Amino acid sequence: MNYFSYYKGGKALYCLIFTAVLFTFSSSFGRELFRYKNIFFQQNQVQGTVTDGSTPLPGVNVSIKGKTNNSSTTDYSGQYTINARVSDTLIVSFIGFKTKFIPVNNSTKIDIKLEYDTTTLQEVRVNAGYYSVKESDRTGSISRITSKDIEMQPVTNILGVMQGRMPGVNITQNSGMPGAGFGIQIRGQNSIRNDGNSPMYIIDGVPYSSQSIGSSLTSPNMPSENSPLNSINPADIETIEVLKDGDATAIYGSRGANGVVLISTKKGKQGKTSFSTTYQHGIGKVIRFKNVLQTPQYLAMRREAFANDGVAQYPASAYDVNGTWDQNRNTNWQKELIGGLADNTNLQASLSGGSLQTNFLFSGNYSRETTVYPGNFDYIKTGGHCNLNHESQNKKFKINFSAIYSAQFSSLPSIDLTQISGRLSPNAPKLYDASGNLNWENNTFDNPIAPLEGKIKGTTYDLLANVMLSYDLGYGLAVRSSFGYTDLNQKQLNFQPHTIFSPSSGFGSEISSLYSNLINRTSWIAEPQLAWNQSIGKAEIEVLAGNTFQSQKGDRQLINATGFSNNALMENPASAATYRVVNSDQSLYRYTAAFMRVNFNWEGKYILNLTGRRDGSSRFGPGKQFASFGAVGAAWNFAKEPVFKKNLEFLSFGKIRASYGTSGNDQIGDYQFLDTYGTSGLTYSGISGLQPSRLSNADFGWETNVKFEVALEAGFFNDRIFTSASWFINKSSNQLVGIPLPGTTGFQSIQANLDAEVQNKGIEITLRTVNMKSKEFSWITNLNFTSLKNELKSFPGLSSSTYRNQFVIGMPLNIQKVYKYEGVDSALGIYQFKDVNGDGVLTAADDKQTIKNLNPKFYGGMQNQLHYRNVDLDFLFQFVRQENFNENFSNPMPGTMFNQPSGVSAHWQSPGDIGPYQAYSNSNTAMILANSRLIQSDAAVSDASYIRLKNISLSYQLPQKWTKNFTCRLSVQGQNILTITKYKGIDPEFRSAGYLPPLRIYSTTVNLTF
Amino acid sequence: MKTFDTRLKPLMKLITAVLFSSCSNFTDIDLPSSQLTASSVFENKTTANAAMVDIYSKIRDRGLLTGYTTGLSRELGLYTDELQYFGISGTAQANFYTNSLLATGSEISELWNSSYNQIYAANSVIKGTEASLSLSIEDKHQLMGEALFVRALVHFYLTNCFGPIPYVTEIDYKKNTTLSKLSQSALYALIKKDLEQAVALLPVNYVGNDRVRPNRGAAQALLARLCLYSEQWEEASNYSSAVLNQSQMYVYPLALDLVFLKESRSTIWQLMPSAAGRNTYEGNTSIFTQGPPSSASISPHLLNAFSSSDQRKTQWIKAVTNGSSTWYHANKYKRQTTTATSLEYSIVLRIAEQYLIRAESRAHSGDLIGAKEDLNKIRNNAGLQNTLAETPEQIIDAILAERRLELFTEHGHRFFDLKRTGRLNTELSSVKTQWSATDQLLPLPESELLLNTNLNPQNEGY
Repeated sequence: MNYFSYYKGGKALYCLIFTAVLFTFSSSFGRELFRYKNIFFQQNQVQGTVTDGSTPLPGVNVSIKGKTNNSSTTDYSGQYTINARVSDTLIVSFIGFKTKFIPVNNSTKIDIKLEYDTTTLQEVRVNAGYYSVKESDRTGSISRITSKDIEMQPVTNILGVMQGRMPGVNITQNSGMPGAGFGIQIRGQNSIRNDGNSPMYIIDGVPYSSQSIGSSLTSPNMPSENSPLNSINPADIETIEVLKDGDATAIYGSRGANGVVLISTKKGKQGKTSFSTTYQHGIGKVIRFKNVLQTPQYLAMRREAFANDGVAQYPASAYDVNGTWDQNRNTNWQKELIGGLADNTNLQASLSGGSLQTNFLFSGNYSRETTVYPGNFDYIKTGGHCNLNHESQNKKFKINFSAIYSAQFSSLPSIDLTQISGRLSPNAPKLYDASGNLNWENNTFDNPIAPLEGKIKGTTYDLLANVMLSYDLGYGLAVRSSFGYTDLNQKQLNFQPHTIFSPSSGFGSEISSLYSNLINRTSWIAEPQLAWNQSIGKAEIEVLAGNTFQSQKGDRQLINATGFSNNALMENPASAATYRVVNSDQSLYRYTAAFMRVNFNWEGKYILNLTGRRDGSSRFGPGKQFASFGAVGAAWNFAKEPVFKKNLEFLSFGKIRASYGTSGNDQIGDYQFLDTYGTSGLTYSGISGLQPSRLSNADFGWETNVKFEVALEAGFFNDRIFTSASWFINKSSNQLVGIPLPGTTGFQSIQANLDAEVQNKGIEITLRTVNMKSKEFSWITNLNFTSLKNELKSFPGLSSSTYRNQFVIGMPLNIQKVYKYEGVDSALGIYQFKDVNGDGVLTAADDKQTIKNLNPKFYGGMQNQLHYRNVDLDFLFQFVRQENFNENFSNPMPGTMFNQPSGVSAHWQSPGDIGPYQAYSNSNTAMILANSRLIQSDAAVSDASYIRLKNISLSYQLPQKWTKNFTCRLSVQGQNILTITKYKGIDPEFRSAGYLPPLRIYSTTVNLTF
Repeated sequence: MKTFDTRLKPLMKLITAVLFSSCSNFTDIDLPSSQLTASSVFENKTTANAAMVDIYSKIRDRGLLTGYTTGLSRELGLYTDELQYFGISGTAQANFYTNSLLATGSEISELWNSSYNQIYAANSVIKGTEASLSLSIEDKHQLMGEALFVRALVHFYLTNCFGPIPYVTEIDYKKNTTLSKLSQSALYALIKKDLEQAVALLPVNYVGNDRVRPNRGAAQALLARLCLYSEQWEEASNYSSAVLNQSQMYVYPLALDLVFLKESRSTIWQLMPSAAGRNTYEGNTSIFTQGPPSSASISPHLLNAFSSSDQRKTQWIKAVTNGSSTWYHANKYKRQTTTATSLEYSIVLRIAEQYLIRAESRAHSGDLIGAKEDLNKIRNNAGLQNTLAETPEQIIDAILAERRLELFTEHGHRFFDLKRTGRLNTELSSVKTQWSATDQLLPLPESELLLNTNLNPQNEGY
């Protein structure tokens, strides 16, 4: 470690790099260096260490009162150096601590001890997108997590790190396959369209389209296509803010209806150049296996099924039971197919530092995840992040540049083996024959790992760059403009070589097939803005006005190449015998807006915030392109009133705020209003076909969302107890939906506005308590809780619309109308359902009248942070109360050639039995029908509430006496460690039946900072 | 730094200037190069043709007539006694094989939805062509004729599978959302009207060389079948004669190994594969080279129905053995995968069926000699002696038996023939353990009944 020491040879090296960097990015550095020399002769150098009483504090700002251009920051060992005169006073400030003023006098060494100050939490500036606001002056609803919460989670997706930590934000993982995405809902489902509920993502001021990339033909291994958010490396993120109410989102106008997720990346900070590196290694495995039948019970079930069906001679294809397969084999297929250990490696490095005017940060990352499936698959993510910011000497001109570039390389199985692993006959033959080849058991075995001969390879490159320029014109007036550019390229290849088929098919490489999907998405945005801040007496006024011009271009090409002389040539579509462009389309989205914000702040007590936006979008037809949105927010910091100050001393903070505003939703895809023909990708008789693109409707317009919120925030005993409660009601009307149509129209839906209103009403509560606080030990608890009711308020003509069997007025959107299960007929041994209208026939329209609500009733998280000397322990419990589809939902009929949950042994065998499972059968039509109705009945939905130890992290920082010139932090983390639930099925959190649920992950981390 | 600030000022002024300007036409965008407005498609012969032929691609790839495993050739083969199933249970094919279809099954909605999508595309061509100002009269006739033929064809197969269904002639989704079912006789009348119009509009000669676009003969051939199904014997006989009399164009007898080649002169209409060198989905999905097969084989019932001297049993069916067991697959199409140039196309209408239609019609209208003559044409071509049937009933039975052997695994002929002659239950209940009388109709998709209540009631038995 000596190599990196500042006091030995390393110092020179570092200074060299540092100087070179500054010379590159600051034209004025030379001049400043000269100036410093002059000061050096006139002043004393003061140095010392800043601590919190026990450990040194890095990053503390030390400055001199009245001299704004002379300041310093403590390094990672808490040390600072500053030039000061005898008469000067040092100002030592750090977020979370009380600011200290210390006269220099004749001292040259001043060690400083800072005291914790919980009230300064209110001083944090929260990013609200176009502006930032002091936490105490905030009128809107904004939740926030910082890099501190992100760093201790072994999670590579930015939505994953938010799970359980924010009120009003419900996040679920789609699949445990590396690179599969997360679903997010902010304050419930606003739009009837399932795919119209994504929030808007903004990364460093640049809107980032979350519209999925890829094609279902090149991502059959995941429940949904790739999310572009995979490109973002969580370790690069400084804060994530989620804007929820009208006040916070109205300034995003047409795109704010579902909330806004603001992601800010780390910035270079003034101070010594520091280098930090983190290495993390972990393993992941499936949390639990389904309990399934062993071979003897399984074969007994099959024999009983055939006996019940009156089949004496087992069919030729019933290989499991007719003697073709060894009836003594017993394989735990879940262990074989999804029981592996996934290996996660993550390496991060960053270099940052800066002078008074210019700061920089460079970082790089590499991570690799493997899978739980047999075979060599992995997902590699690598990238770099750079931030440069500069301020002119007179502080008038500022520029901030950030760029993120990431590359992802995936090589994944072409199917998810989870479903088959729980269904395959336990006596099915072995996967490989004696010579190590795939075993087809004389063409009687559809080998489940044969599809792994194929694979899905993806490469994704993503660039995100932005520049923010600002210039202070004087008189409180500043002009600024941000420019952003994104460029996303993805190539996904789905290899289907002929070897995935049994040799009995006789196929050769002439049928090997490759799907290749190429996506390019580029966008630019320019947002010129003018801001004016002025104090008039006790009032402070902030005004912001700006314009947005945004353009997004998409280009997609899906190719199918078939027939290769050799499978080794499959990567190259040009070597295919036939080559077909399945789909090739371009899209352009243009968006323009003008927005404004006016904020009045009277003594920090009374705050009024007005925001508005006028939007135009190319996604709408002529005459429907423009709409206006706006909001008003107000806050009253009542604890600052003398009457409260005097009488309620224990009250350290108190605020009531309220907001009302509108925002919109334009997530309907491009060109939907046009009546067009597009290329079908099919060729016939030498002519490339054209097909009708859609049923067209030129008259649809914006969906609007009206949001109202009131909230109370209060801090007690110097904010050692801090709580907030907000009540909100959001109404979404003029619903923009793809109205389902019967197939006789030629299509399944049409885009139109529906005069229906959806309401989300709920409360969010947060509570932060400092339970213990002493020199060496501290314990902080953070609790968040959300209860939300989603309701379809009105829907004129529902009973005559095509939605009548999907929705019920007064009920949530996310319901299922199901049959009422009435147990097993004890005489016949078949599932019974309630014939609601008593007509003697079960029909879906009349008898699926039981309503099951699949929305969570409430959810939340409880985080505990314990600190003792050098040891930190942090753990998060996530809790959800909900109902979800259970194991009956995806279960094939008991008695068929599929393995079953072990509970199936409690089934009907003779009159008088009541199940709960019906009699075994292989092919009885009535039984098949009854089983299909069971899946559509209330028996397939049950309580899926759970409490889960989502994340735990224990870290230890080596004592400074061992590591003088660097800090070393060792930690262990776990994800999804413990789950308490009554749920029957693989995972209560999970909603994509048949796919791999989230994994349990253990990891260890080493972090070094020099 | 001062100089830098002064240099910067103009830029800041520019930003300020832009700030309060706004381009109102910024959001007006052009169509992407991959799309055309619907009306412009039909102002140009090339694009209008592209819209029409795309429907044939869709018929080839999806829905009722595809040779893929999701089409009627495979599914109704399994549903009746033509094919035996070897795959796992719970699949679409397994449900057809065990006659345990569910109204919620995706195999059912797939058949339904893709068929009505094809009908929509045909109606869109009809409307577009009618409104076109630039297309020539000949082109309009060709396109209208083909689109009417397609509309009739798809509805014909739909009603034979699903029974009473709506007949869609509009493209307005508001009307098409609430359509009611029509009786089979009303449907047949509409189908007939469309086909008669197609006969009038379509030219005798084919467009292009490969018989891949329907001509007048194709419309007449389908009319002949429609009249046979609706027992209009004389008309059936006349329409098939109209086709059969075109002896320059259609050649029969024809060596059995030439019948299913793309150049076959006994083909009336066939679907071209999607790319040069590809052959048929039928060949691709039915041929296997080792046993046991992974999905389906010719059933023993069908195999045993052939007499030993029937050349079709050896030329159109192939045995695969592993030494101890033997399985059979349809070998009408002999190419499983690609060849240097395509050798086989998927045949939808062929001459042999027209002889059998005329034979049956003649037998019903009393022309027994003519009936036997037509029947013997087919028998002799298969290497069989003349029929020994004498009475009308015997002759009709012989013709139906011949249809089974000639037309097996071709788009569900066996199922439709048994159904229209009222023999479905008697023939199948002895072979299929799960057969019930209500299985003569497939279930209407449940999602469809929920979206359009006018389609109620569900077919019996579901």
